[in-house]
Amino acid sequence: MQVVRRIFKLNLMLSFSKYGFVLASLLLPVLLSAQHCDLSIKGHISDRSTGIALSYSGVYNINTEDGVIADSLGNFLLENLCSGDHRLRITHIGCETREVKVSLQNDTTINIYLDHHAELLNEVVVHGKSENNTAQVSNTIKMDEIHLEGNKNLADIIEKIQGVSILKTGSGISKPVIHGMYGNRVTILNNGIAQSGQQWGNDHSPEIDPFVANHISVVKGASSLLYSSNSLGGVILVEPSPVPIDPVLSGFVNYIFQTNGRGQTLNASLARHGNWAAWRVMGTLKFSGDAKSPDYYLTNTGKQEANLAIQLEKELFKNCNSTLYYSMYNTNIGILRGSHIGNTSDLEEALSREEPFFTEDKFSFSIASPHQEVHHHLFKFESRYIFSENQSVTFKYGGQIDVRKEYDVRRGGRSDIPALSLWQNNQFIQTTYEYLFAHNFTLKTALQFDYTDNANDPETGILPLIPDYRSYTGSYLVILKKKLNKLLYEIGARYDLKKIHVWSITHELPRTIDIRDNLYHNYSLSTGAVYEFAELVKANLDLGYVLRSPEVNELYSFGLHQGVSGIEIGNPDLNPEKSLKLVLSADWNLGKSVFLQTLGYFQNIEDYIYLQPQSEFELTIRGAFPVFEYEQTNAQIIGSDLLCSFEPIQQMKIILKYSVLKGTNTKEDIPLVYMPPNNGSGTFTYNIKDQGKWRNNSVSVEGEYFAKQKNYLEGQDYLPPPDGYFLLNMRFFTSVLLKNKNTLKLSIEAENLLNKKYRNYMNRQRYFADDLGRNIMFKVSYIF
Amino acid sequence: MKNKLYFIVIMAVILSVLNSCKKDDPVIPNEEEVITTLIYTLIPSQGGTPKVLKFQDLDGDGGNAPVISTDTLDANTIYTGQLELLNEQETPADTTTNEIRDENQEHQFFFEASTNLTITVNYNDTDPDGNPVGIENILTTGEASSGTLTIILRHQPDKFATGVSQGDITNAGGETDIQVEFDVIIQ
Repeated sequence: MQVVRRIFKLNLMLSFSKYGFVLASLLLPVLLSAQHCDLSIKGHISDRSTGIALSYSGVYNINTEDGVIADSLGNFLLENLCSGDHRLRITHIGCETREVKVSLQNDTTINIYLDHHAELLNEVVVHGKSENNTAQVSNTIKMDEIHLEGNKNLADIIEKIQGVSILKTGSGISKPVIHGMYGNRVTILNNGIAQSGQQWGNDHSPEIDPFVANHISVVKGASSLLYSSNSLGGVILVEPSPVPIDPVLSGFVNYIFQTNGRGQTLNASLARHGNWAAWRVMGTLKFSGDAKSPDYYLTNTGKQEANLAIQLEKELFKNCNSTLYYSMYNTNIGILRGSHIGNTSDLEEALSREEPFFTEDKFSFSIASPHQEVHHHLFKFESRYIFSENQSVTFKYGGQIDVRKEYDVRRGGRSDIPALSLWQNNQFIQTTYEYLFAHNFTLKTALQFDYTDNANDPETGILPLIPDYRSYTGSYLVILKKKLNKLLYEIGARYDLKKIHVWSITHELPRTIDIRDNLYHNYSLSTGAVYEFAELVKANLDLGYVLRSPEVNELYSFGLHQGVSGIEIGNPDLNPEKSLKLVLSADWNLGKSVFLQTLGYFQNIEDYIYLQPQSEFELTIRGAFPVFEYEQTNAQIIGSDLLCSFEPIQQMKIILKYSVLKGTNTKEDIPLVYMPPNNGSGTFTYNIKDQGKWRNNSVSVEGEYFAKQKNYLEGQDYLPPPDGYFLLNMRFFTSVLLKNKNTLKLSIEAENLLNKKYRNYMNRQRYFADDLGRNIMFKVSYIF
Repeated sequence: MKNKLYFIVIMAVILSVLNSCKKDDPVIPNEEEVITTLIYTLIPSQGGTPKVLKFQDLDGDGGNAPVISTDTLDANTIYTGQLELLNEQETPADTTTNEIRDENQEHQFFFEASTNLTITVNYNDTDPDGNPVGIENILTTGEASSGTLTIILRHQPDKFATGVSQGDITNAGGETDIQVEFDVIIQ
């Protein structure tokens, strides 16, 4: 089989000789024009990572509104086309749908590569018949949805996936939670590079602009363990798409206005496949003011954000394609003024209040202390060289700089001096070698090196909670993947050697520097299998054993953590956590109109690291504070995610989701705190028939339900879990096909339509204030 | 072979960058905002030796426990009280009370005596709005008793809220900068 790697040379394509085209359907174009209408596009569709032809892919010409199905060798032919721009939509089961624009002057041959996420065993599930109105349900959020939800944080967007929840600090800061795991235990891969940032802080949002992503996937199973040594719960993949093979300038503009917080979001992207290189530039601006709960403004919860991403792709030399990527993320997030407390009696007072202290009657855009200022830069270089038909080497480099400044309300004009000022530099190198033994049998092996330098700026005038450190991790991994008829299986192993070198400042006087070292050997093993019993049922088994070494905060935190009003003390003698996770899932295609996805999991973590409140209090000049020490126990998490999608009639679709989870500290037989409560949602969508230019019209109503967290013991938290609640959301959507064949998408959406007053267990602001009230959003998206 | 060379060059550049930056020891921050010491000096209005209540925690939060000392007060006596806040990590010690005076509209002290302790504290100073601050105050003792006296300093309280200017902390809000408790004996 010929492995073809000339993605970018439209005019230098291989010519196909003897192909028998199986054309499933081919309709005559009905364009009225004086152009030449006898042109053709020949194409070949293959998997980007393996080069294997993708048989029976769907090819749909958006302009002429007809399509063909590629043959078993991935070839297709579109005939009787007029000259001019044509946009093709390529679909294949298990792949990202891709759009390709072709400026047709002569008969043209193109090669199209799709991203086939075969390495993610339990990812992407497709259901239904045609690509347009499929009840596509998966653990992936696609670009259309990302653009619609682009005014939100990354974590808020993926919360739509069953089994994913969010840990919030107010409305501006949110962290993803997968099957009850978050922070250090979840890895976020931004464009293939593990997001460094300050992972440990529960009030640190991932510094990623969701608009950069073409799709966001959540890998819940054990096969995810091989992405990073820390991913006990799962992995989140934020994947930008390759620049389209399109010599014409293409792109999109998104604008969103939201009533709650009077927020505005503007995003624009431009891409072109130029002669010198293919490029894409994207920018996002967001700003909003004080959010509003049903009864009062949440004073000082405004947010500002400015992001930029640049992507360059070039074939440096024959069979070697390279990508250069740079992204910048800048934000300034206000934190509810009334949630800033000085000691435990302040906290008790705040807990008892109906309306938080410092609540203003008037709306404001201004952001004062407390607030967070974050700047994150990612620089990535990736080069893939295919040196024979079945072998390739990929080199990847990622450099990140994260600057985080957190401001508190301080005395003597010091509110302008950050109370926390961190600078983190992360460098990552990976070399991957892939070998294709035979059709559908691949070996992948990689060497990784990761370096992190974390420094506190002494400008704060406060002893840092997390000390300065450097960490070095070397990793080696092997994955074998084989497909045998209806069975696809994968086994993988990973070894990490990690060294942490810490410079901590003593708390005894005189202050001195205490230098410590920690060394860890970790290994991970994973295996997974997918078996397709029939068209009807697909079963997926995933088993993984992984070790996670303790992070610096767990080892060396020392001091007052203002946000939680407690003194946190790390333990340098912690052992790595040992996790065993089993995921069993099945997809049921019950007839053409019903799809069911059932997933159950069991996770046992030995030496689970957590913060244990101590019996004695520590006396300071601000009163006595509770002391929390990092300790280890054994933990167990059992849960299930269910999804059912149902089309009673063609225009109607109902999707029901439900997730249950129970976390237990098995050593003491008590509940684990901060585990997401059971929750579910139901969405009813009605598609209205296309009316001339008005396409894809739909109305949907969504109900979200969050149960009360009952798995809780009195006294485990400052406040018992809040009551369960039900929220109602609505969306109207339409798209307009413009004269120039570009698309304009319009939607109006309401969240918490009934203006329900509620508090969410997973939002740390619940101690102080109600959650968000009604929010109406107006969204416009123009694609060209 | 060109590609190999190209990888080697990139690797070499990255590794040399990593090696070239030897990390210096972190700079220990200058904790100028810390309050280590509170001294409450009580001068009897009829004259006599001043009494002192003192709270001292030199190493700040965590580390060693604070040292608290209390003089026994005389019964049925009026004292002129003055509070002094110090940061003794600095040499010479920094007088934090000056910062409080400069920002007196944003600060207020509160005095809470346990029910069995016969003490009342009245403010003896005002900010430009005419609201009390509490650095200067008058402490009056009653009959012999014992109990606790808690001194609280609030940053950004709502001084106009009901009862706050009379010394009632209930509606004050703001953040607590100081909260110290003294076991007081009146004889």
